[in-house]
Amino acid sequence: MSRKPAAGTLRASAALPGSAVGGTSSSSALPTLSSDDMCPVCKTIRYLNKDMEFLINPECYHSMCVACVNRLFNEGPNQCPYAGCHKTLRRKGFRSAFFGDLSVEREVDLRRRVALVFNQVEDDFETLEAYNDYLQQVEDLTFDLVNGSESKRREVEATLQQYEAEHKADIERNRKAGREADEQSRRRLAAERDAARQRRLDAMREAEEEKLERVRNREAEIDSLAKGQPIGTQFKRRGQANRALEAAVNATATATAGLSGSLADVGKLSIRGLKEKKKAPAPEGPYDPFGGMDFATSRFKFVPGTLSHPSIERYKTDPQHIQHITGGYGFEEYTARALFEAFAGLGVFIEDEKEVGIGLSAAEVASMSAGIAAVGDRMDLD
Amino acid sequence: MALSPLVMPSSADPSRTASPLKRQTSTVPSSSNGTPAFTASRVTIQSGQPPTLDPIEQMNEDEKRKYVKGKKLGEGTYANVYLGHSRSDPNVLVAIKKIKVQQQYNDGMAPDAIRELKYLQELRHPNIISLLSVFSSKDQNLNLVLEYLPLGDLEMLIRDVDRVRYGTADIKAWMGMLARAVWWCHDNFVLHRDIKPNNLLIAADGEVKLADFGLARGFADPGYRMTANVITRWYRPPELLFGARHYGGAVDIWSVGMVFAELIIRSPYLPGNTEVEQIALISKQIGTPTEDVWPGVTSLPQYTVPSEVTPVWGKEAYMQRFGAVGPEGVDFLIKTLALNPKKRITARGMLEHRWWHTDPKPTRKEDLPRKAGSDGEEKMGADLKRRNGVIEEENRGGKVARKLDFGQAR
Repeated sequence: MSRKPAAGTLRASAALPGSAVGGTSSSSALPTLSSDDMCPVCKTIRYLNKDMEFLINPECYHSMCVACVNRLFNEGPNQCPYAGCHKTLRRKGFRSAFFGDLSVEREVDLRRRVALVFNQVEDDFETLEAYNDYLQQVEDLTFDLVNGSESKRREVEATLQQYEAEHKADIERNRKAGREADEQSRRRLAAERDAARQRRLDAMREAEEEKLERVRNREAEIDSLAKGQPIGTQFKRRGQANRALEAAVNATATATAGLSGSLADVGKLSIRGLKEKKKAPAPEGPYDPFGGMDFATSRFKFVPGTLSHPSIERYKTDPQHIQHITGGYGFEEYTARALFEAFAGLGVFIEDEKEVGIGLSAAEVASMSAGIAAVGDRMDLD
Repeated sequence: MALSPLVMPSSADPSRTASPLKRQTSTVPSSSNGTPAFTASRVTIQSGQPPTLDPIEQMNEDEKRKYVKGKKLGEGTYANVYLGHSRSDPNVLVAIKKIKVQQQYNDGMAPDAIRELKYLQELRHPNIISLLSVFSSKDQNLNLVLEYLPLGDLEMLIRDVDRVRYGTADIKAWMGMLARAVWWCHDNFVLHRDIKPNNLLIAADGEVKLADFGLARGFADPGYRMTANVITRWYRPPELLFGARHYGGAVDIWSVGMVFAELIIRSPYLPGNTEVEQIALISKQIGTPTEDVWPGVTSLPQYTVPSEVTPVWGKEAYMQRFGAVGPEGVDFLIKTLALNPKKRITARGMLEHRWWHTDPKPTRKEDLPRKAGSDGEEKMGADLKRRNGVIEEENRGGKVARKLDFGQAR
């Protein structure tokens, strides 16, 4: 711990995630492994140790040689030896970087992490548009995570964790589905490879037979020449055989082309990651004859048989108007309608609706005014 | 209209606003009868219009511009039907029903057009065809923009015995949608008065929608005489056949019962050629309407029944013919076909019936059988162009023999 990295490396490390010294600059300032063959911690150079290997810890992406890692972290968790970096690292977390540029390494790691959480596929979305929106959203999150400021990163990380916790089941399901798709494509690839090998073997066998045939033909030609017969037919047969060989070669070529095509497909399959998810079909409840609608009145309650008026009673009792009863005329319906119309329009304030900006289409406006007209004047047709 | 004080010639003040309507936005307060003032957003689409249109004409013009009229789906004496789509989103298909100017009513709009407009624009329900917009085109033709229902109608499915098969669960689903539509009409105090299978159109998702409100009207006040000459004869209830002028929602319920029976036996249940024959069929198949089962029936103006009195059939008789829908279904049928309208089940009562909750469960609308082929489109054209008239059995398509109706000639 006594030896600290040189000043130049320090400047570079200032931009690292988690570093206390001005954490807002871009991470492109991460040191690259190829540029210096010196361990920034112990200053060992490759000249002294031919097979020196650098390891990084995804906590802070500070690289150091294996010797340093072993020395510092074999005893258990320890602080990162870089100046200003207070991350606690463990031996287990160290690995060798895949990319020479550590900022790329870090971005790939982050993307992998995001993709694990946002693993929806296009089929999960109603429309392509929704899917694209989702991809954009995920990309925004990823960008913030990769390039954002410290506070932004923390925020995104929280979002990520929250989403992960909330959608655990979905994520697991998508992961499984993705694995199955991978498995399927792997199997398909294997099958295609087998088929291609089989075709190759067949082609080889055919070529072999062709060769034998040619030898036999040649012998036959010689025989026939010896016997003094014309040889045109024999030559023709040889030509046919050549064409057959060509066809076999072509078939193999197309088969390989198909193979590489399906390989490209496999690459496409791995596009995953989304936020809004398509709702799974809700479990069907018991059948609702009313279709979930109700025509309840909120301002009054009509109790059949409670409302009466002499002008109605007249029609009910007068034998002259017996037709009202026998024809099935509904007096209750009439009183209900009278009540409804009496209350209709109460609580509707056109001024308010205009302010809120309820988008009234012309048809709705027309229906509103027609409703008023219907109540206002009797333009009934018989 | 020409005297409207709101119209400002654009030349009067060209520097301030491009369109005269923008001025109206500020000058016109919303009037007391709910006419909306123009909003700025509405003004923006009007660039191509001559500036002398008054607000109503302008509104009509805007409404017209929202839709693009496409190919003709059907032409009839009463209306032409076009396929159209929304200008803003070409994926939204609509049917535009252009009602012809009729010689008969040259001093105004045809009453069936008025009825259709008046009631459709007030009813919003998944099982009722929705009226999206109304506008008039240049020659004062009325255009109704209706939702596009591409899968034909129920009659088509009932008739196509060879290619369409359906079961009790499907019937139950269709009946549920029909009952909901009727319930919604009645709860909003509208009588449909022309319920029959070819007025039940089918949407792309299988939803059945009640259409053709050309005979609809609101519930009448007591003492107000309504015409008894409504509802296609096969679906007409006995009280209308007897000439009752004061009736209620029960008339639609009878039609629902008839549609139900037709769905089960896949042919019209009581196809009477004349009204007298219709009464005879009802008397024979359901029971003779007498004072016993229907007090006061003899007082109806055109009460005549066959001399041979058939008692009202019991449940067993129905079970034999309609047993496919189970005892609860038959109970439902009997209740809708009660002779006495006062005893007939109400629309709400239908939805509260036990049948809906017994097995089998109604089919999901997506899984309902639909007719193969693409003749649904023409079918909607045919259904909409029909003069939604009093008796239109002649127009039932080529599948049913033409029936001459001399008794009806007026």
